Amino acid sequence: MNWFVENISTALGKKLLMAVTGLGFVGFIFVHLAGNLSFYFGKEAFLTYVETLHKLDPVIVVVELLLLLLAIIHVTTGAVLFFQNLRARSTRYAVNKTAGGRTIGSITMPYTGFLILLFVILHLSQFHFIDRAQMTPYDAAVNTFSNIWFSLIYIAAVILVGIHIRHGFWSLFQSLGLNHEKYMPLIRTLGIAFAVAVAVGFAFVPIYIRAVT
Amino acid sequence: MTLESRIPTGPLHEKWDRHRFELKLVNPANKKKFNIIVVGTGLAGAAAAATLGELGYNVKNFCIQDSPRRAHSIAAQGGINAAKNYANDGDSIWRLFYDTVKGGDFRAREANVYRLAQLSVNIIDQCVAQGVPFAREYGGLLDNRSFGGAQVSRTFYAKGQTGQQLLLGAYSSLMRQVNTGKVEIYPRREMLDVVIVDGRARGIIVRNLVTGELESWSADAVVLATGGYGNAYYLSTNAMSSNVTAAYRCYKKGAYFANPCFTQIHPTCIPVHGTYQSKLTLMSESLRNDGRVWVPKEPGDKRAPEQIPDSERDYYLERKYPSFGNLVPRDVASRNAKEQCDMGKGVGETGLAVYLDFADAIARDGREAISAKYGNLFEMYEKITGEDPYETPMKIYPAVHYTMGGLWVDYNLMTTIDGLFSLGESNFSDHGANRLGASALMQGLADGYFIIPYTIGGYLAGSKLPAVDNSASEFKEAEEKIRSQVDKLLSIRGKRTVADFHRALGKILWDYCGIAKDEQSLHKAKQMIAELRDEFWKNVNVPGDAADLNQALENAGRVADFMEFGELMVNDAIDRKESCGCHFNTAFQTEDHEALRDDENFCHVSAWQYTGPESDPVLHTEPLTFENVELTQRSYK
Amino acid sequence: MSSRTINLTLKVWRQNKNNPAGALETYPANDISTDMSFLEMLDVVNEGLTEQGIEPIAFDHDCREGICGMCGAVVNGRAHGHMPETTLCQLHMRHFKDGDTIVIEPWRARAFPVLKDLVVDRSAMDKIIQAGGYISINAGGAQDGNSIPVPRDNAETAFNAAACIGCGACVAACPNASAMLFTGAKISHLCLLPQGKPEAKKRALSMVRAMDELGFGNCSNEAECEAECPKGISITEIARMNREFIKAAFS
Ligand SMILES: Cc1cc2nc3c(=O)[nH]c(=O)nc-3n(C[C@H](O)[C@H](O)[C@H](O)COP(=O)(O)OP(=O)(O)OC[C@H]3O[C@@H](n4cnc5c(N)ncnc54)[C@H](O)[C@@H]3O)c2cc1C
Ligand code: HEM
Ligand code: HEM
Ligand code: SF4
Ligand code: F3S
Ligand code: FES
Repeated sequence: MNWFVENISTALGKKLLMAVTGLGFVGFIFVHLAGNLSFYFGKEAFLTYVETLHKLDPVIVVVELLLLLLAIIHVTTGAVLFFQNLRARSTRYAVNKTAGGRTIGSITMPYTGFLILLFVILHLSQFHFIDRAQMTPYDAAVNTFSNIWFSLIYIAAVILVGIHIRHGFWSLFQSLGLNHEKYMPLIRTLGIAFAVAVAVGFAFVPIYIRAVT
Repeated sequence: MTLESRIPTGPLHEKWDRHRFELKLVNPANKKKFNIIVVGTGLAGAAAAATLGELGYNVKNFCIQDSPRRAHSIAAQGGINAAKNYANDGDSIWRLFYDTVKGGDFRAREANVYRLAQLSVNIIDQCVAQGVPFAREYGGLLDNRSFGGAQVSRTFYAKGQTGQQLLLGAYSSLMRQVNTGKVEIYPRREMLDVVIVDGRARGIIVRNLVTGELESWSADAVVLATGGYGNAYYLSTNAMSSNVTAAYRCYKKGAYFANPCFTQIHPTCIPVHGTYQSKLTLMSESLRNDGRVWVPKEPGDKRAPEQIPDSERDYYLERKYPSFGNLVPRDVASRNAKEQCDMGKGVGETGLAVYLDFADAIARDGREAISAKYGNLFEMYEKITGEDPYETPMKIYPAVHYTMGGLWVDYNLMTTIDGLFSLGESNFSDHGANRLGASALMQGLADGYFIIPYTIGGYLAGSKLPAVDNSASEFKEAEEKIRSQVDKLLSIRGKRTVADFHRALGKILWDYCGIAKDEQSLHKAKQMIAELRDEFWKNVNVPGDAADLNQALENAGRVADFMEFGELMVNDAIDRKESCGCHFNTAFQTEDHEALRDDENFCHVSAWQYTGPESDPVLHTEPLTFENVELTQRSYK
Repeated sequence: MSSRTINLTLKVWRQNKNNPAGALETYPANDISTDMSFLEMLDVVNEGLTEQGIEPIAFDHDCREGICGMCGAVVNGRAHGHMPETTLCQLHMRHFKDGDTIVIEPWRARAFPVLKDLVVDRSAMDKIIQAGGYISINAGGAQDGNSIPVPRDNAETAFNAAACIGCGACVAACPNASAMLFTGAKISHLCLLPQGKPEAKKRALSMVRAMDELGFGNCSNEAECEAECPKGISITEIARMNREFIKAAFS
């Protein structure tokens, strides 16, 4: 196991951790987005979806634990990278310009990441750690989004998630070594499409719910 | 002292084998007891240091740049010759040997050149094994091209960056030895003296270019691979730090300097723009395959090239050399360009350029085809000049490129100082009076990978070398001398900068000891150099202090040596009363304005011995005998 | 093209043993011909400074034709200046305008300490190569050069990676001062050739480790390196290194 720790703690090892956990998140967000689409078909549809999901309870628990593990790894590794990278340039440039490689997404990765973390904590407290006997997830959504501020926070947060994914998606392929001039343009396009889908798909949920209630 | 070339006896093709057998061997267990200093990390130095490390010697390797990988060899573009005959077009070791001897206008040693041709084959194998990404054909085998007017395709290349790739190959082997601990590298160090103890080279003094400290390093042998001295002319295609200092200070300690006036001038370089110009950039010779060289017929015609009709252009190379046309050899092309400019027909703002025109080639083959062949060269030209060669003719002018002269060495590459060896461009050995394209890289690597590892073993095994360390008084004395020179340079605080003096020296050498020489101007040059040198020591302004990174001081030291060395070049040129290869004395030419050799009186190597600052150097000659080739007069008509 | 002259204001990083903290100093650069290269412009400024009794600006350079990798400075926030695929020595003054202010700073990275003014210590790059950027072959032991065919495409891709001049602009331009492009280029060059395969695993692991130990930052795929690299080395070389590393680390 020693070799594993040794290799995974190198610069490339850490990059790999980010990519694998990021990939896990991408998968989760995809499923979550798909699930949330059922909101748009009304309360019944949504609750049926939640029920079917919860029939798989033991699996869900495993998935949740896995997600938690991914989150811990992604966040701590991300933080380590952030501080190491700061330290790698002890003196800053007086003038700093981009040559065109960076994007808003890539520049803001650690910051969007951190805000997403705050959001997820908030989100879980509102949707996950609720008394399910008292309140269905649908009620939770209605509750939350009836507050205009929460709606705005959610909309802002999912845009941040979109920005994070805008860079993260292609970046994880690059980190895994999957950069090929034939396929990279496709991957980049897919990433942008997915980022937009996430931002738009999630952002309309609060709007829609406010509209129907 | 007589010059002993130590050329082995026997038939030409057996000499090197026999010699290797006869050389004494160092017992493998003893190799780790020997310390060797290698100065220089170009092809010659890096190859030598790495190989000696592989053999088990303790090697210390010095260079001026911040990394060994930056030595000037990195800039070589065209390629490297080898007698592989992969092209099956009739090449052979013998043909490469013959071409090299003939190309050098019969002023190189047969035995050395033959060995070089033999080893050329091993060099390619070695480089391929190191991972040098040579150009390949679709079948996956190595590609060759014909270079510099050769009749066979024997040049291996890696795009236009052959020198870079070969050097990175040698550098990688060197880094591997650094990793094993057999070689230690000392970058940002400039060698300022060789230290001689009991008649043998036993160490060097270097200046640490970061701290300014003088460091003494002792060893059992010293290998010099410090490159050429083309920068004596100020403007050349050489890197800025190329210098004669290391070699010159060895000369002052007793190493003879051979053929210092043999300088190759390359015809296709980007011309000078203004006085601020710091270096000249080579444009590959291959351009002359499709470009047509011309100047306006009327001197002083300042019209733009497009406005000069064909009838008012002089395609002088095509006119004068109908069968070779634009493809005449380097020296002929250079000489003619200068001649045209001297007649006032030069073009561009300075009048020191001729056109190299691709309009006809583009009209004939199409822009595509020309771009496929020369695209990157055209881009480079445009980057530097801001002009687009597809639209307007290129301007070119000759520039100093390579120095065939160097420290005199015997067949073992040892100088006249025991234990001091010299490799690569810093020695004089294999190119005679003119170097063929793509053979300097070959020579540097042959010296480094395949010759010095044997011959230095022979020296070490055959010599009694008492322990010497850097506390010996010889080291202290040498350090003291350097320190006083450094202090002197810093104390003058005159009015003219180092670069200013360097420019002035360069102009003298270029004007009077350059493409074409004559006795009268050479004498004039000698005088002018002496005067300039005098002024230098009274009026140079070297800012900063000694105990610091001080680039002006570094340059001042180099220019000071060029000032003395320039006179040696002139002396040699005066003495050689013939024309041969690149040495063209206008008094000695054929009716066709070809170099006219005097084999009766000058079929020799001129090796100069230093006798002190006030006295003229003493000439020793090593006669050259040609048993295997016939001396012929070349003709390009 | 007819040459013009322009006047500029330079803000140059000056740092030496008497001023270890360093600061930007302002100097005029007048009557600069637009045919000059950036370094020739600095030469001219330095001659002027020398005449005024000010120590000239120290900067590294050697070949002045874009191949040795010795030169380099951050010019107005851009490594080697703003022209694509151009080293500082090949950057010409015709790309600046009369009256421009030019800020010139050294490469900045913890792994590249400043020695003086614009001169930095890049020996960390040699150390990365020492960790494995070679094929272990002794002189004399090689077989015939044509005994191993190399597909032309591979040879060209290897060449493109090998074209790296080791200038360090990638590190200077990377927001994280990471040396991934440099290291990736060398690992790619060697792993693409059959000769380099036997040591591929060991090489990838040890070179990556060396990079960490020397204090370079991590890569977050910012692609600034690729945009500034004077030799047009692509971040696909970083991806290839990642692949090599994964193969080496987990098999
Ligand atoms: C633009 C150009 C293109 C060329 N193209 C070709 C070509 O296509 N084919 C070909 O065969 N040849 C070519 N040549 C010639 C060839 O490149 C050189 O002759 C050859 O590379 C010299 O190698 P070297 O090892 O002897 O010296 P260099 O590569 O010059 O190395 C000299 C080394 O010595 C060190 N050094 C020098 N002085 C000191 C000192 N005082 N103290 C410490 N270290 C010192 C330097 O730091 C450096 O490491 C070309 C030359 C030029 C200028
Ligand atoms: C929980 C809060 C999060 C934090 C703190 C966070 C932080 C970060 C940081 C700092 C990086 C850049 C790492 C680097 O390369 O240096 C990163 C990359 C990434 N993140 Fe996040 N992130 C979070 C959530 C997410 C989510 C929800 C997703 C899902 C889509 C995600 C997907 C990715 C991906 C794909 C990458 C790119 C990995 C790579 O470059 O290989 N992250 N994250
Ligand atoms: C408007 C947008 C969103 C809505 C309406 C929404 C809704 C929900 C709901 C209803 C649940 C509860 C499911 C359950 O436990 O049965 C949930 C859980 C969760 N959501 Fe969201 N979500 C939104 C956006 C997001 C975003 C952007 C993220 C991530 C960055 C996220 C991460 C999670 C996580 C981690 C869980 C817990 C999963 C689990 O317990 O298995 N959500 N969300
Ligand atoms: S990868 Fe490019 S920028 Fe980096 S060192 Fe090599 S040539 Fe310079
Ligand atoms: S800019 Fe830096 S973050 Fe990576 S892609 Fe290049 S090394
Ligand atoms: S000085 Fe050699 S690359 Fe710029």
